[in-house]
Amino acid sequence: MRDQALWIILQRLRTPLIVIIVTYSIAILGMVLIPGWDGEKVYHLSFFDAFYFISYTASTIGFGETPYEFTYEQRMWVLVCIYLTVIGWFYAIGALVNIMSDKVLKQELAKGGFRKRVRGLKSDFIIILGYNYVNSQIINKLRDAGLDVVLIDHNEERLNLFQLEEFSTGVPIAVADALLSNTLVDAGIHLPSCRAVVSHFYKEDKNLRIAVLTRFLNPNVTVISKATLRDTMTSLVDTDIAKVENPFEIFAKRFDIALSAPHLLILENWIYKNADLSDKASFLPEGRYIICGFGRLGKAIKEKLDKHGMDYIIIDEKLIPSREMIENETFLKANADDRDVLLEAGIESASVLIAGTQNDIDNISILITAKKLNPNLYVIARENTMKEESVFRAAKANWLFMIERILINKTSLQLSQPLKHSFLKKVLYQNEVWSTSLVNLLKSQLGSNPKLLNLTINEERAYAIYHSIKDGESISLNVLLKSLEDWKTYHKAIPLLLKRNGYEFLLPKDELLEIGDQILFACDEESRTEIEIIASNIYDLHYVCCGEEKQNWLLSKFFDKIKKFKK
Amino acid sequence: MNLQKVISGFFFILAMTLNFGFFYGDMGNYELHSVYELFGALVVSLISTALKIGDKTQIGSVLLSTSLVADLQLIAAVIVWTLVEHINSPISASNMAVIVSLSGGAFLANITSVVLYIGETLKSKR
Repeated sequence: MRDQALWIILQRLRTPLIVIIVTYSIAILGMVLIPGWDGEKVYHLSFFDAFYFISYTASTIGFGETPYEFTYEQRMWVLVCIYLTVIGWFYAIGALVNIMSDKVLKQELAKGGFRKRVRGLKSDFIIILGYNYVNSQIINKLRDAGLDVVLIDHNEERLNLFQLEEFSTGVPIAVADALLSNTLVDAGIHLPSCRAVVSHFYKEDKNLRIAVLTRFLNPNVTVISKATLRDTMTSLVDTDIAKVENPFEIFAKRFDIALSAPHLLILENWIYKNADLSDKASFLPEGRYIICGFGRLGKAIKEKLDKHGMDYIIIDEKLIPSREMIENETFLKANADDRDVLLEAGIESASVLIAGTQNDIDNISILITAKKLNPNLYVIARENTMKEESVFRAAKANWLFMIERILINKTSLQLSQPLKHSFLKKVLYQNEVWSTSLVNLLKSQLGSNPKLLNLTINEERAYAIYHSIKDGESISLNVLLKSLEDWKTYHKAIPLLLKRNGYEFLLPKDELLEIGDQILFACDEESRTEIEIIASNIYDLHYVCCGEEKQNWLLSKFFDKIKKFKK
Repeated sequence: MNLQKVISGFFFILAMTLNFGFFYGDMGNYELHSVYELFGALVVSLISTALKIGDKTQIGSVLLSTSLVADLQLIAAVIVWTLVEHINSPISASNMAVIVSLSGGAFLANITSVVLYIGETLKSKR
């Protein structure tokens, strides 16, 4: 609160002010009371004379003795005055300087500035807690998508680093403890334009705490947080407002898909803009799988392998085997970063190896050894931090599992392109036949890299349709797909998803549009413009609806009136 | 007993009494109004303003505003006096009436402030 800073200054200034008033009044009163000599008779300084004299004496300006030369009695009192008032001034100035360098005051001023900047943000914003590599990438992507960001970190040095970044302009930042509700309130969590809080703390109980706080502060705000442990995940989900991202589950799901429906991965990579549709979809090789490291990743992958009935072996030093593992002999209690152990696990005949330990260097080492022993091996490597990305690439892993990359991609897509994110979520539950046909359809109609278009049926984005629906006309989705050149033919765009009041229709066919609908199209440049024109131009909308040019509204009204008048 | 309360109460009431002392008497009569009393009233009024600064409560801000009004009126009276005395002495009855009525206004502000202060003290449970 900016007021807080003002109050601190005023309260601290109270004593210095009183000291100055008292010293001045003593000095002035003395000057008035002590008789002077004007050369002929005794006189007394007036209060004005005394105030004038003390003012320039106390401030050490010293114009001399006015209006007449002083007597010795007066000079003795002036001596007292000088020391009294000058000391008073020094004390006051010292106190003021002290206040200005006060840490509490500085913090209050910074906090006030932060609050003001947050409340001055024009567009919707997202509160990001903590500054690290993942969050810096997320901030970058969100800013590209035109969303504002508020950043909080308790470490001042890290925020200083942030300020050196190019994308830091216009981002309000605060040095504060994000786990306190006051901080979140300062960051504007109450404001209607606050969309979400991103909480990717390494310690997962912090994420839970943020979710609970947010739920009580403003239940309309989404909390996006990371959780890798089942307990935390369920508690987070129970807060109702948290979207939980578990990178291990996410990867395991991809792994599952790669075993059963690789075309889905092609679609996903296209949505994330990692690759285009022309990539060849291939199943993970069949045969023996070796899982190195049985932590959160190993466990998630084992589940999927069990589900598909694949043959596998787990290598982990600290593994405590379950009865099932002992019965099936599917484990080796050893350090995977060892030639002999890998040979014992049957690396020469294995088809896939998963280097999934918590240690990046171990993973690289396993990867290199394994490739030497079996050059045809398909290797999946886990990378915990993005720092060693180039090393992993050089080691030629076939598939990299990057925890941080997954968090960055998922969080930023979810926040900046919610429609694409919903589409992706629906798609991942489809099967191989479905995805193959969709990929082929997209490729044949729109080429290998179709664009995506979001359309919301509202007054701003779809003026013509919005008003037609308001007037009671029924407009179907098909209308948007008609060609402007010939209304009986269609242009190339393909509607992928229709979202209405929380319901989502995958690949909608000929739904009737309603106000507030959000539609995701795959399209090319040309069909994109056509959709936008049909949605917003009443004449073009009329043409594609009934194949005839619309009469000018004003003129037709005018003619109607004339007709009536004639009658 | 709260020493802080004693001190602030002392200054608030002293500001009012000194002001009354200056104000009381025939308005136009120069002889009946002491310049020292006006000086004292102004100084004490300034001190009580400083004492009221920085109180965040509702009553604190009202007290501060009454005090600021008193200061303003008294400073105006002092300025008028200085101008009149140094520029067209001796002081005429009408000039004196202006000075005394200004201090009368300050006196009203002082009364308000003291009433509020006493009211707040009575309301306090401690």
